[in-house]
Amino acid sequence: MPSVKTAKVCYITGGTAPIKRIMAIAAGKFVCWLSRLSGNQGSSLPGLVARRICPGILVELAAQVHRGVVMITGTNGKTTTGNMIAGVLLAAGYKVINNREGANLITGVTASFVRKSSLWGKIDCDYAVLEVDEASFPGVTAEVRPQIVVLTNFFRDQLDRYWEVDKIVGLINTALQKLPGTRLVLNADDPLAAQFREKTGLSCTFYGLGGFERRSGTGDRVREARFCPFCGAPLVYDNFYYSQLGIYKCSGCPFVRPEAQVEATEIVLGPSSTTSMVVYDHSRVLLTVPAHGLHNLYNALAAFSAGSALKIGIESIVRALENYVPVSGRMEAFIYHGKPVYLNLVKNPAGFNEGLAALLNGKERSKDVLLAINDLDADGRDISWLWDVDFEVLAETGRLSFFCTGRRGEEMALRLKYAGISTDRIGLSRDMRAAIRKALAGTGEKVYLYTTYTALWPARKILSRMAVKGNYDQNLPSLS
Amino acid sequence: MIKICHLYPELLNLYGDRGNIIAFVRRCQWRGVDVTTREANLGDPVDFSDTDFLFLGGGSDREQDLIAGDIKRRRAELRSAIENGLVVLAICGGYQLLGQYYRTGDGRVIPGLGLLDFYTEAGGKRLLGNVVIEVMLDGALVRVYGFENHSGRTFLGETEPLGKVLAGNGNNGCDGWEGARYKNVFCSYLHGPLLPKNAGLTDHLIALALKRRGLDLPLIPLDDRFEKRACKVLQDRLL
Ligand SMILES: [Zn+2]
Repeated sequence: MPSVKTAKVCYITGGTAPIKRIMAIAAGKFVCWLSRLSGNQGSSLPGLVARRICPGILVELAAQVHRGVVMITGTNGKTTTGNMIAGVLLAAGYKVINNREGANLITGVTASFVRKSSLWGKIDCDYAVLEVDEASFPGVTAEVRPQIVVLTNFFRDQLDRYWEVDKIVGLINTALQKLPGTRLVLNADDPLAAQFREKTGLSCTFYGLGGFERRSGTGDRVREARFCPFCGAPLVYDNFYYSQLGIYKCSGCPFVRPEAQVEATEIVLGPSSTTSMVVYDHSRVLLTVPAHGLHNLYNALAAFSAGSALKIGIESIVRALENYVPVSGRMEAFIYHGKPVYLNLVKNPAGFNEGLAALLNGKERSKDVLLAINDLDADGRDISWLWDVDFEVLAETGRLSFFCTGRRGEEMALRLKYAGISTDRIGLSRDMRAAIRKALAGTGEKVYLYTTYTALWPARKILSRMAVKGNYDQNLPSLS
Repeated sequence: MIKICHLYPELLNLYGDRGNIIAFVRRCQWRGVDVTTREANLGDPVDFSDTDFLFLGGGSDREQDLIAGDIKRRRAELRSAIENGLVVLAICGGYQLLGQYYRTGDGRVIPGLGLLDFYTEAGGKRLLGNVVIEVMLDGALVRVYGFENHSGRTFLGETEPLGKVLAGNGNNGCDGWEGARYKNVFCSYLHGPLLPKNAGLTDHLIALALKRRGLDLPLIPLDDRFEKRACKVLQDRLL
């Protein structure tokens, strides 16, 4: 792996020439902008370009993370788990870098740092939460030292690239041997993940399900580890969830499903949420994850474990997980009395600007716009960034009506006023429900809702009651 | 015609700094006062004597290092402009730059311009959150609202504070003062940004700039209901 070697040379010689670093970051950011312009997320290309110019860029940028790096690898649930962990840390008031877009190769990881970096190569964040592709794990850990590694599970996946599960496990094991002091968060129910305690000797936090009876016999077919990873004898299952996940013990040696420090019991699977009692550290807490399925419960437990390993308060973890947004709120479409409604999460000036672009497009004569701005920890308590959003572009079109709400709706209204929007087009209400109702009842041909992180879930809930979920352009629901 | 100069916008650009310029410009325009804004970065020529309002935004240690050398060359000219009544607003990093020095966490001393008598030391915990201070403007006490986020602790020497902390930390979290003030120079840790919500302070700065141009007239009052509502949110929460 030549890139890794070059990076090390760069590192040992005490860093890159500043001009090279600046060029690398500038080029990376430029590519970000270009690919966004062409309507493409382009999540790893900026990293590729930056690494070409300065191979040590990731080492330099990642070394600046104040508190630590959490990496998530494994076959399934990396993105969701990563997003959940990032949510837990954000809710606890930390600044977090994460490769949300699922750009999980070394170039994607590099890109996520380049995007957050100042032009001078400065990173200001407390934690980096990185979803890392299993095959990229050795390369990434050679440049970024994780404090915590979450191993979700190991299934057969993309066999063309990944040879077989054993090789992946071996690869990750070799990489972990070079990371003494790292804490592992492991799925106790997956023997392939659980084996890493014995294999590495690292300190571990286990999570798993306790006392869940799966009625249907699905998943019995593709069992990866029917045999013990240590002695090769068949594993015996007391309880079986899916694939090789369950409560197992080896028939030939002492290997047995480890006791889970974070364990979900009394599990209730709902259509769009999963509720369970989480038992940890001699306490119990009720957790409802707004996502369907056992796999999402596993993801939440992994995030719970990582959060508690980072000493985040349990209440704060539970609140963050209950507010988890399953990649919705990105121009999520609804229909209200035959007119399209879009819900969009906004977190920073760049994203907000992108979201506002939708208001300028289209031939519609008029649009109603709702802006819900909160300033809780997960939103960022400092709302100054609203002043870096280009609301000025909206002043030129007189076809928009605005409704501001949220804990800082007043500041939002003030921002619009200073953007040059006439104050008689700016409504303000403390009551989010009333504000949403007004926006929906407006005379506009389309409605756009922009909300910050903690306002998204309540807004979505209100909207779901008033409007029908669905895309106007794709399938018009029959209106009864 | 009011001439605004935004110094080092590429380096000193804390979230929302732009809002201070926007507020100053709008409140001039709404009164029919012409304004021009220019940005000056490292090495760009600036004529302080031909500037009416100078804005210095926030930045961190790293940026301060880069700026220190450049601004030192401008010191004499800036000093005489300030003595002649140049209206200056300096926030966070820009504020620290005008003092005697900044001592970093590892004990390194970055000399400041020494135009105002105060010094700053790196502190441990960041002082972060919403702030309310009380400022004397034209003989009246005015409440000023903002958000602070700084690890530096500033201690005033001869220089007067900008205001008294009613809620939040202010300069150092212990002596109860916020910001610094000398002639027409206003320094503060408050962003949020500072000027849009605090229309009274903005108008005070505009009036000072106009006065320096020989236009000593009372400003036309504006409809400030939105500004008052935005302040009231913080007032209700913090006081
Ligand atoms: Zn065995």
